[in-house]
Amino acid sequence: MYRYFISIIFCFVVVSTFSQEQTKKVEEKNDSIVYTSPYGIRLGIDISKPIKAAIDGDYNSGLEIIADYRISKRFFIAAELGFEDEKTQEDYSKSTAKGSYIRLGFNYNAYENWLDMNNEIFVGLRYGFSVFDQTLNSYSPNVNNPYFPTTPINTPVTTSLNSHWTEFMFGLKVETFKNFFIGASFSFKVLLNVKEPDNFKTLYSPGFNRIFESGTGFGFNYTLSYLIPFKKK
Amino acid sequence: MKKTIVTLLLLMIIWSCTKDDFCTQSPVTPNLILRFYDDINRGDLKSTSGLYVWAENKDTIFINQATDSLVIPLNTASNQTIYNLSEGNVVNQFTINYTIRNEFVSRSCGFKSIYENVTFSSSSTWITDFTPTTLTSIENQNSAHVQIFH
Repeated sequence: MYRYFISIIFCFVVVSTFSQEQTKKVEEKNDSIVYTSPYGIRLGIDISKPIKAAIDGDYNSGLEIIADYRISKRFFIAAELGFEDEKTQEDYSKSTAKGSYIRLGFNYNAYENWLDMNNEIFVGLRYGFSVFDQTLNSYSPNVNNPYFPTTPINTPVTTSLNSHWTEFMFGLKVETFKNFFIGASFSFKVLLNVKEPDNFKTLYSPGFNRIFESGTGFGFNYTLSYLIPFKKK
Repeated sequence: MKKTIVTLLLLMIIWSCTKDDFCTQSPVTPNLILRFYDDINRGDLKSTSGLYVWAENKDTIFINQATDSLVIPLNTASNQTIYNLSEGNVVNQFTINYTIRNEFVSRSCGFKSIYENVTFSSSSTWITDFTPTTLTSIENQNSAHVQIFH
């Protein structure tokens, strides 16, 4: 009797494994759908700069156009082109910096997308170059004794300057509508070379922002961009 | 991953907002240092007694001083500073003429005034003599600029 039952169980086992293998084969066939993602040029603007110009009195105006071009699954060639006009007010000096900049480099998308999604969490590297004018509008000598009041010297001096830097970026881009992306990124900049004016210092460079004592800088942008797809891969 | 990014972002925001440059240099623009010596034994310091100091058309800056060293500011808005040094109701006028050159120091310290082609003159009442009468520049406060004999 027991023998009979055991044989029956064995029979079931064989049947069940057989059926599993069959479904597997069917699944493999369905899996042959490959999700493609679009390749093309993406153009956009940084909307944080006009907002900053409207709310920050020291930031006169700014505009940045961004572009990237996808070259492989994860790599994008990226560039930013912009213009900035900013006032720097220190305890003893007032100056303005005004000029254009370009940043060139690439982004690496570290995000593994689901299905046909097209989002990015990226790290990037840039080389930046800026040509600008810095004007020392006024200054007053630093006198620690208030016995004689100081008078500010109001003869503006303008110098044409330039700066080079490298930049490490990280940020994200999210596809909200088809081919329309919202992105934000932070950057840490290291100054390579800057032309200094006579008897003053380059305190701000467009595209680099405030030049810190150690020759470093920080940046932030919030972008809206549109992808013009060329092909799907 | 998400947590790391958020922390990094916060760190960067805080970092980018902190002031990285403080002016630790004091003073940036030098003051004039006068040292008082004995008129007879010219190597010996001699303190003043009841010295009052004020600049022309200004309030008194030092009252009733008994000191052998005086640190006084110069007017950066003019090419001349006239000080009245009074000891026992005898006023001695001490005039300093100079040209000013403003030199950039740093972002937080700003500009420093350097006094150049400095010439001194005295109305010679209780101050019998002083040395030197001219200085090419006053750039720092490392040592006394003028020796005053009385």
